[in-house]
Amino acid sequence: MVTTDRRQGTPPDISEKDIIEAMKAVHGYIDITPGDFRQIYQVAYTMAVKRLLTSIKAADLMSTPVLKVKQSLSLAQAADFLAEHHISGAPVIDEKEQIVGVVSEKDFLREMGFNVNPSFMQIATHCLHDKSCMICNLRGRTVADIMTTPPIVGTPELTVSAVSTIFTEQKLNRLPILNSQGTLVGIVTRTDLAHACHALEEES
Amino acid sequence: MKFFQKMRGNDQSPPVVGPVEIIWSWIGSFSGIAAVSIIHYKLFNQTDLMMIIGSFGASAVLIYGAIRSPLAQPRNLVGGHILSAIVGVTAFQLFSQQPWLAASLAVSTSIALMHLTKTLHPPGGATALIAVIGSDGIHNLGYFYVLMPVALGATVMLFVALIINNIPGKRRYPEFWL
Repeated sequence: MVTTDRRQGTPPDISEKDIIEAMKAVHGYIDITPGDFRQIYQVAYTMAVKRLLTSIKAADLMSTPVLKVKQSLSLAQAADFLAEHHISGAPVIDEKEQIVGVVSEKDFLREMGFNVNPSFMQIATHCLHDKSCMICNLRGRTVADIMTTPPIVGTPELTVSAVSTIFTEQKLNRLPILNSQGTLVGIVTRTDLAHACHALEEES
Repeated sequence: MKFFQKMRGNDQSPPVVGPVEIIWSWIGSFSGIAAVSIIHYKLFNQTDLMMIIGSFGASAVLIYGAIRSPLAQPRNLVGGHILSAIVGVTAFQLFSQQPWLAASLAVSTSIALMHLTKTLHPPGGATALIAVIGSDGIHNLGYFYVLMPVALGATVMLFVALIINNIPGKRRYPEFWL
């Protein structure tokens, strides 16, 4: 009820009646009109949201250590790895441990000939009707063949709002975080972001 | 059109205070005004000294009746009165030939200075005005008017406010000192 209408930066709409009741609950004469209070409240709320969104950095959100895959890995091995760790994607590194791309379910699906974001039922129906399941297309190929490259990466200083903008605009689910030396130091996923927002709610 | 629409007012009055608040406002203001007027009428009645001026009635509204107001805090009470008294006396001494000018300058300049120094206290405007339109007795005080009745009277009223306003559990004074 409360959360549905709470968009970023828009304070919950308190009524003048709420304010009058609050002023009655606070002892003594307060020489401010309810309308003025409301105005101050709205500005203060917006500033608080802004402060929270800029005070939390990618460094606070990111998961470490990062699970990563080598680009020379076969797709079967890579799929095993992702399945084993219950993750849907991971950064790809070369022999010098440098990040060269990101591989995820989306890359597998694309190579199998599906459009962006197919549902499980679409895949099921495809495989049930068509005897030759398209996963065979992937046999014998390596991570380097299908990964998304160059990777979109972030820095530890990115604010939580910047990270969420990148997710939305680039349609990403995870953002590898590189320090100034270009070393992979963490990864922020949509889940990490959701946890951060939840923690903020709890705090307030 | 917008100019006239603004005159309609689009907000509402704050809620009425409870009976406890009213009673303590009464007790505080009775005690505060009693303190300065007893000194004025009983102690100073054989002398030319003064302890009370009209603007103290207005200060009483704030420091006993609206004690949470920023306008009612010690900085504003004492600072506002002293500053306005200086401005008032100066205005009278410079422009006593043109009382209308002295009066207008006294009030407007003290408001500006109180704003500038974060000591806005509405009764200060009256303190400045009294320095101009007051009796010969007040005019004869010169800058002594700043010290007494103004500074001393305000301090006595502040002292009473600190005691009375902190007796009830739910009242607290001041919000801040400086």
